Amino acid sequence: MFKNYLKITWRNLLKNKSFTIINIAGLAVGMASAALILFWVQNEASYDQFHEKKDRLYQMYNRSKIEGEIWAWGNTPKPMMAALKQNYPQVEQAARILRANFLFTIGDKHLTLPGSFTDPDFLTMFSFPLIHGNPKTALNDMKSIVLTEKTAIKLFGNTNALGKTVKIDSVDYFTVSGVMKDLPNNTRFGFEYLMTWKYWEKTNGGVDKNWGNNSVATYVVLRPGVTETYFDKQVKNITRSQSEVKDIDVFAHPASKWRLYSKFENGQIVGGRITTIKLFSIIAVFILLIACINFMNLSTARSEKRAKEVGIRKVVGAGKGSLIAQFMGESVMIALLAGIVALIIVYIFLPPFNTLTEKQLFIPFASPVFWLIVVTFILFTGVLSGSYPALYLSSFAPVKVLKGTFKAANAVFSPRKILVVTQFTFAIVLIISTIIVREQLDYAQNRDVGYKKNNLAYTFMQGNIEKNYQLIRNELLTSGAASAVTKTSAPMTEGWSDSWGFSWQGKDPNTKIDFNMFNVDGDFSKTMNLKIIDGRDIDIKNYPSDSSAILINQASLKLMKFKNPIGQTVMNGDRKLTIVGVVKDFILQSPYEPVKQMIIQGPSAWFNVIHYKLNEKNTTAENLKLAEAVFKKYNSEYPFEYHFVDEEYNKKFADEQRVGTLASLFAGLTIFISCLGLFGLATYMAQNRIKEIGVRKVLGASVLGVTTMLSKDFLKLVGIAFLVATPIAWYSMEHWLQTYSYRVNISVWVFAIAAFVTTLLSIVTVSFQAVKAALANPVKSLRSE
Amino acid sequence: MIKITELEKFYRTEEVETIALNKLSMHVDTGEFVAIMGPSGCGKSTLLNILGMLDDPDEGSYVFNGIEVAHFNERKRADLRKHNIGFVFQSFNLIDELTVFENVELPLIYTGVSASERVKRVEEVLDKMQIMHRRNHYPQQLSGGQQQRVAIARAVVNKPKLILADEPTGNLDSSNGNDVMELLTDLNEQGTTIIMVTHSEHDARYSHRIIRLLDGQTVMENIMV
Repeated sequence: MFKNYLKITWRNLLKNKSFTIINIAGLAVGMASAALILFWVQNEASYDQFHEKKDRLYQMYNRSKIEGEIWAWGNTPKPMMAALKQNYPQVEQAARILRANFLFTIGDKHLTLPGSFTDPDFLTMFSFPLIHGNPKTALNDMKSIVLTEKTAIKLFGNTNALGKTVKIDSVDYFTVSGVMKDLPNNTRFGFEYLMTWKYWEKTNGGVDKNWGNNSVATYVVLRPGVTETYFDKQVKNITRSQSEVKDIDVFAHPASKWRLYSKFENGQIVGGRITTIKLFSIIAVFILLIACINFMNLSTARSEKRAKEVGIRKVVGAGKGSLIAQFMGESVMIALLAGIVALIIVYIFLPPFNTLTEKQLFIPFASPVFWLIVVTFILFTGVLSGSYPALYLSSFAPVKVLKGTFKAANAVFSPRKILVVTQFTFAIVLIISTIIVREQLDYAQNRDVGYKKNNLAYTFMQGNIEKNYQLIRNELLTSGAASAVTKTSAPMTEGWSDSWGFSWQGKDPNTKIDFNMFNVDGDFSKTMNLKIIDGRDIDIKNYPSDSSAILINQASLKLMKFKNPIGQTVMNGDRKLTIVGVVKDFILQSPYEPVKQMIIQGPSAWFNVIHYKLNEKNTTAENLKLAEAVFKKYNSEYPFEYHFVDEEYNKKFADEQRVGTLASLFAGLTIFISCLGLFGLATYMAQNRIKEIGVRKVLGASVLGVTTMLSKDFLKLVGIAFLVATPIAWYSMEHWLQTYSYRVNISVWVFAIAAFVTTLLSIVTVSFQAVKAALANPVKSLRSE
Repeated sequence: MIKITELEKFYRTEEVETIALNKLSMHVDTGEFVAIMGPSGCGKSTLLNILGMLDDPDEGSYVFNGIEVAHFNERKRADLRKHNIGFVFQSFNLIDELTVFENVELPLIYTGVSASERVKRVEEVLDKMQIMHRRNHYPQQLSGGQQQRVAIARAVVNKPKLILADEPTGNLDSSNGNDVMELLTDLNEQGTTIIMVTHSEHDARYSHRIIRLLDGQTVMENIMV
């Protein structure tokens, strides 16, 4: 029996080539899209879930009330690690992590690489296996270093680097004490080497005992049996008991929630990336569903053709069950073929998809679990798409079918029409969403930053740059590479520091107000083209007292409520600062948020970055060449590295850009699959109504009239879909936009465009078949009856 | 073999109710060859469908081989049907996607006959119908007469006790039509009961008895000599 089904399925597929191609193409594209999304979801859900001790692994978090709201954050004071290990018997292991960025030198090879400082426990807390070296002792000696495979190969050409020496930052020599397997693609860590905490202490003034400075991530492994709730109760007051800081609660954030549940509101977890995961999972399910709907629609549309076969089979003895089995078998077979095509599509499109999502996903061909999932997925798709046609087709009464009185239902609410409406509703929701995401992106990108980004470059002050800053500055200016130079605490596009330690006359002493902090020396406004609204720029050359001068932005002024801000005093703890100028608000952090209050300190503070406005008279290449010569002259050990502010600023939109691209991609695919289905339906409709068209033409109907008549029914469905889709899209996008303070209003034309695009595409799809049917010679079609 | 009593069947649309069978009673004995005749709309096809258990009556009794089947559900009917009844249609009703051999094989598949036994029996019956040489052809490659012979082969391959034929010669020229009637007569002589609906007085003459219907009722029975 099975062989018989297989045979007839295969012959049916070959006989109806266009049907087969449409079905397999639609299903394959749907399956491939769903698979890509599921790969991505799987990767997200597996983040840091491979650590053997993951059930006991926690990151320490702080919680405190700031500006009337409870905040939670994952940076902790440096002494917390030791306090946890000494005073909390629940803690089995603990380690801090702090980013590092060093220049590596092997012979005449120079490389700057990102890494981390950490404590010795790290290697046995997390499952990052060492290929060479002992994880228990590898980070015990101050000048030992653990490299990843990749880094070892970069530095030594192979992974057999144990015991070899590397020179770091042209000052110290380190011995490789371990080579680690490269980090997998699903971990939050991104280091390429690990250095010891002891070395950080040696180079940063000894053991840091400051409980007021939250700058490291602290991880713990709890002893078996210790629950999160119990430990949270124990550890809550650790900061209070160890220091003068009395307003901070501490709690543990479990490894199972790091990736997906790390968004806190009012001190409690409210979700995080899980929202995106859920959203894209829904999209995956819908795309697959739409592809399955195509199959259902085309199969039932062909029912008049298949009806005779059903009737005959029933007459010669087939039960309903065996017919259901037969049609299910057919759809599973089509799903299998589509699955193979989908696998090829995924294989081809995984690399660009990786680029888009910034992931390193791969197809685990060797994994039996993967193949099991593939088979399940194919069966699921086959059964899902085959269920309705199987029930529908197998229910035909043989009497009617064989007597020729059978006509497929054409009711107002036939399931087929509902399915088409469902498809197009989803497609239109995606189209509207895509347009709104793009609009929001445009809106934020066109927002006034407050300074001029173009031709503005910066370099991190490494090696001897800070020591030779004045010389470098002068030569950048005299060589003609730059028209203005300033040094700052952080790049113009990043907020590295904030503080709530400020007070001024009129401030309510009971509220904490957090300010963004930024440090500059002279020529800040000139370099950035930043407008000074009141007062002047910081200028130590002409005003020697400017070491305690500050600039504030407009947001700060509004908050401090000074009528005449210039000359006013702001206290930072005991330190007296004087406002010398008010600058126009500029975007330091998120382009979607209002500009936060900010205090810009003068030259006595700390600096990390040198900003220079490139000379507009030269080309960028010439300027960079000149600048490189200057930096090389005063900092010869280091390669010349530079960043452009406008490029860095654009990275702020990466997330939204990605969402926008993915949304357009999936909207495009959805509309493609939907139109494919529509095309198939139109084909069968044209075939089924061929006699009617013939009669109408004989009676004098025009080609245009017939085309319109045939297209109208489908456009009605698309119209209904649009009416259903509009409120759904409006509601969900309004919800999405709420996450941005600086956002567009959803305007009517968005819906108008979506309506226009969908209508146009469906007209093109349907009218091709409609015109063909309308042009056919009626003599032929009537004779064929 | 067949005994129906006061059988009724209605067709309803929104406005009108049509009576297809009106308290019809009749019986057919094993081994008989019965022709049913009557004008269009007299209910003969409805009767044939009910006899073939493709349709069920609204009222009345239908006893097949001593079993009351009037209110059997679809599965029970299908089960009884596939073991006992073969059908021959005016429009042949072969499956276009299957070859001659596969079409004839179909009833055996549904009654669960083993593959080797199927080959044997299909070949036997194809031989008898003299279309063995066409076994690997598809229906559309055959003439009408050949197609109807395949359809008869399919109807008899399961060795049914009863063959229901619905205007079996309606789509054939007279020479092919006579061939088909000869085949049916042969089958009847070998013991198969045959009930045939026909418009043709010529074909009806092959039967033992003619039942004439009008407006869902028997109006006349002629016994052929």
